[in-house]
Amino acid sequence: MIALDDVSKRYPNGTYALQDVDLRVAPGEFVFLVGSSGAGKSTLIRLLIREELTTTGRVVVDHDDVAKLRGGGIPRLRRKVGVVFQDFKLLPTRTVAENVAFALLVTGRGGRAAREETDRVLALVGLDHRRDHFPRELSGGEQQRTSIARALVNRPRILIADEPTGNLDPVTSWEIIKLLVRVNELGTTLVIATHNADIVNALRRRVVALDHGRIVRDEREGMYAA
Amino acid sequence: MRRLGYLFTAAWQGFLRNLVMSAASSVTVALMLVLLTFFAIAERGLEQAVRLFESKVEVALYLEDSARPSEILALKSRIEADPVVSRVAFVTKDEALQRLRAGGQVAVVDLDANPLPASLEVKLAQAQEAPRLTERLRREVGAGVVKELVDNPAVVDDLLTVTRLLSAGGLAVLAMMLFVTLFVIVNTIRIAVYARRDEIEIMRLVGASDRLIRWPFILEGMLVGVAGALVALGVIAALAPTVSGAVAAFAGIVPLDFGGVFAAQLAGGVLGLALLVGAGGAGLSVRSHLRA
Repeated sequence: MIALDDVSKRYPNGTYALQDVDLRVAPGEFVFLVGSSGAGKSTLIRLLIREELTTTGRVVVDHDDVAKLRGGGIPRLRRKVGVVFQDFKLLPTRTVAENVAFALLVTGRGGRAAREETDRVLALVGLDHRRDHFPRELSGGEQQRTSIARALVNRPRILIADEPTGNLDPVTSWEIIKLLVRVNELGTTLVIATHNADIVNALRRRVVALDHGRIVRDEREGMYAA
Repeated sequence: MRRLGYLFTAAWQGFLRNLVMSAASSVTVALMLVLLTFFAIAERGLEQAVRLFESKVEVALYLEDSARPSEILALKSRIEADPVVSRVAFVTKDEALQRLRAGGQVAVVDLDANPLPASLEVKLAQAQEAPRLTERLRREVGAGVVKELVDNPAVVDDLLTVTRLLSAGGLAVLAMMLFVTLFVIVNTIRIAVYARRDEIEIMRLVGASDRLIRWPFILEGMLVGVAGALVALGVIAALAPTVSGAVAAFAGIVPLDFGGVFAAQLAGGVLGLALLVGAGGAGLSVRSHLRA
């Protein structure tokens, strides 16, 4: 599903954000990406959604070499890869349902089918009762669930979460993680970049650790620290 | 269809969200268009005046009484050979006298002898070429056939100079206005892009096409242009009776004709240019402020 072959990313000032990274993620896998700030987690995620290109090496996402995508290829890639961020990135002037439906609207879908899809994901994340509220009326956990619903509404093959619990208290963090586990069980490949050691240690999933741009550890049922 | 709906809604919201800046841009567009219209009308009027004078431009060669018909005919055909000449008419002494009588301005008492000379009246096809021709014809004076040369293209010459100055000056002013207008629109759209940066980021993340991200801004620019065009056309329509009255009074002799076709062309041109400038400015802005 995801393949990074000998990937390096060097910034113009000469520092390496990633160096000689080889990574394979199979369909349906659940992967934690851990490492200190600046280890390269966010860069790796930006490469996967083609926010950035590699300096050397190849990134393949769902059979597409992302560097070779042209024109409409990039939007199509991003519809296959849902992304969730620490800061939710919700539109404050739109309701929960509108925020979710926005992802359908701007990719050319609307009407009844769009409403049904929106209802489906809102039910999945448990927010049907909050659908007409604005983001400022929601708790942090509810805002993050809205952003997960938006990421899922295009039925992506892969869901990437960059510090999804970074702004949330421990209890809410657990709710979000349980939701993400459920999404993974429904068949979506999941990559979560996180600093949350408790969660990583409790779930015992695959852990890929980055340090100074290199993969230093890749364990099947890993812990946050070696 | 839905995407079109989104495009227009987003463009309209963008226009309203930053109403002051949008309105300022539209006023700039309107100002440019009013100026453009003013120049177009002034040029049109002058062009007609020039054409009118051109049709009257002639050079008269008064002939010696002693000139022989064969010499006169030879001179006539030599003048006719010049491509800028449209027609050469021979006016005999008798005809000249008859004209004088018919004019009625002078009481022509019985004259024993006819004091008026015969003449060749040369009509020109192109007024600009008059000086060259008169220069050439002046050389005939005193050679035995031509007694005197009278020309009136000086008026046309002045008129042509004014027209050219106005065209050049108008073009320069319009070019500057166009530049300013483009600049203002580029800035307006830049602010619109900035105001919607979160929305744009999300659109890109969820896989909206570049076109869908860019077109609302292009449409917003066109909206600014159209609003400007409507203001300009309103101003022009309101001022038209007064101005055309004043121009008619000033021009007097010149039969000005700004028929319906001209008005329609002008309105179409104003609207077209407004759309072009709006879309162009927005396009420039989106290109430089919106990373794909």
